[in-house]
Amino acid sequence: MTTVIARTVTRVVVPFILLTAVSLLFQGHNLPGGGFIAGVLTCTAFALVYIIYGQESLRTLVGGSEPGDGVLTGLPGTYARLFAVGLGVAAGAGVVSTALGYPFLTQTVLYLSDVPAVHALTELPGIGTLEVASAFVFDVGVYLVVVGGLLTIVSVVGRE
Amino acid sequence: MSHPAHVVVAPLLVALLTAVTTLLARSFPRLQRGLSVLGGVGYAAAVAALAAAVTGDADGYIVYALSGWDAPFGIVLVADALSAFFLIIAAIVGVAALVFSVGYLDRETAALSYHSLFHFMLVGVTGALLTGDLFNLFVWFEVMLMASYVLVVYYSGPEHTRAALHYTVLNLLGGAVMLLAVGGLYAVTGTLNMADMAHRLAEGAVDPAPVLGLSALLFTVFALKAGIVPFQFWVPDAYRAAPAPVTAVLAGVVKKVGIYAIVRVYFTVLSAGEVALDLPFVAGDSYLAFFGPVMFAMAVGSILLGGVGAVNQPDMDGLLAYSSIGQIGFIVLPLAVAATAPYGGSLMTFAITAALVYSLNHGLAKGLLFLSSGVTRRAVGSTDFADLGGLSERDPAFAGAFFLGVLALIGIPPLSGFFGKFLVFDTGVRAGSTPVLALALVGAVFTVAYFSRAWNRTFWGDPVEYDPQPRLVAVLAVLAVGLVVVGVGFEPVVAGAEAAAEAAVNRSGYVDAVLEVGA
Repeated sequence: MTTVIARTVTRVVVPFILLTAVSLLFQGHNLPGGGFIAGVLTCTAFALVYIIYGQESLRTLVGGSEPGDGVLTGLPGTYARLFAVGLGVAAGAGVVSTALGYPFLTQTVLYLSDVPAVHALTELPGIGTLEVASAFVFDVGVYLVVVGGLLTIVSVVGRE
Repeated sequence: MSHPAHVVVAPLLVALLTAVTTLLARSFPRLQRGLSVLGGVGYAAAVAALAAAVTGDADGYIVYALSGWDAPFGIVLVADALSAFFLIIAAIVGVAALVFSVGYLDRETAALSYHSLFHFMLVGVTGALLTGDLFNLFVWFEVMLMASYVLVVYYSGPEHTRAALHYTVLNLLGGAVMLLAVGGLYAVTGTLNMADMAHRLAEGAVDPAPVLGLSALLFTVFALKAGIVPFQFWVPDAYRAAPAPVTAVLAGVVKKVGIYAIVRVYFTVLSAGEVALDLPFVAGDSYLAFFGPVMFAMAVGSILLGGVGAVNQPDMDGLLAYSSIGQIGFIVLPLAVAATAPYGGSLMTFAITAALVYSLNHGLAKGLLFLSSGVTRRAVGSTDFADLGGLSERDPAFAGAFFLGVLALIGIPPLSGFFGKFLVFDTGVRAGSTPVLALALVGAVFTVAYFSRAWNRTFWGDPVEYDPQPRLVAVLAVLAVGLVVVGVGFEPVVAGAEAAAEAAVNRSGYVDAVLEVGA
């Protein structure tokens, strides 16, 4: 079904999509982007591979178990677990602050220039202020939920 | 914000973490069921702790700024007696339904997503009852509804899919309307925080006319959630399609969230608004004076349509669903009286107390009856009256529990329902309103009529084949004992309901409690 053009373009485009997705994920805590949109973008890459190369190639790529009889076995089962883990990460990112005595979902930012050990690094030309936002953990959770959820839908519906 | 009172967010977190862990434990069904029930018990404990904290608090308000962003800019959770009262209803009915579903549903199918979704539904309910932000209320409604969509289609047969499709489409429409109304209110008042909105309305800083129109739009959404006529049409099909424990929660808890939203938004928040109206039946300038006659008309419709519909239903689920429509009328009726009473006066407080006590009674009794319908389905294989009969001989304990639930809804002393109905009638007497009394009387007669029929067709007559379900009946027995306990030990219950009603009409207390946090 698929043409040489489609297969070649997919080969070229998929890494770029994934790279854009990751960059959106990393800047999401204070710039346009975030876990949701990065997750959707990642799914388009997987969906492209799925459409052009078929489900089997995706399975070798991701490394899911053999498909079984049930609804959520094989690859969909892997995706569904990803979804659950992501939910746990996102919820956990909110709960950690309560354990530290702050309200639920409280976030903070660590500026690397304030950390003595890596202070010199931030003074290098072209690096500037580096920050580590705790909201990133929450974003990763959202990312996993979106990727897991959408891919479960795509693969289960695709199998029927 | 030196001491964030985590007790406020505790019920929400317990339900959320249970939902996530049950999802993760999907491959271990036995562990998953254990976690699920444990989470339910933990939820009840967290609600009890919250209720105790609210009762013990000097002001009766505990405000919790999520993420540490204070009101009116951040989203706050506000726990007061009103939230606590509804949370207690949710905890009792929710835990009973959860334990019931462990014994009731097919274990393999339930392992897939049932337990997780059930707890997500509780998350939505809890968030809606606690939030102090209008847009956040919309979000929690959606959380609650999204879980319920999947739970309604649980059996996934043709008729279940059809019912769930109608239910989903209607509620998506409702969600869109709600978003429109909330967005409009934001545009007009410039705030989404409910306390800030009340504050601005009271100050007169806002044009009151569009607020009334938008709040009327919002009212239709709450009425849709609560299943009040003319927004009741989704109720019978959805209740027939969903598994019995889900229906128990939908009727016992999710409907009550609609009632809570009406009380919170219209009595606490928007009651500050005044606009001159020249409409028939509307006496006075406050928004509540406008909503009073509207609610009265809806209560009339609900009680009559629910009663007439329930009398000739061919099956128990249908009868109970129409009965829910009628009983919700009994909750809206005193609210209508309250809306036309002077703000913060004794009649308003008394009428809201009546509505709250009736909500509690209906939650417990209707939960019990919907679970009974589940027992019937399991034991006989059908809930059609044509296939039923003589169950009182087959299983006296089951019949006794069902009978207590029926008596509670009819309103026989010493059960909880007696006080519920008594307070509704007393509201009518205190208001000196003949139409209210007449309507309550008609509704009471209908209740007796359709439940007599249900009882005759199910428990008397020629006995049918019956497969006993002692573990399921045990859950019913606990709820039935609860009905008696609430009725016999009524003092603390009515005290709690009174405190909740006072919190509902204490607008300045609510505004001060929420907004001073930022000061």
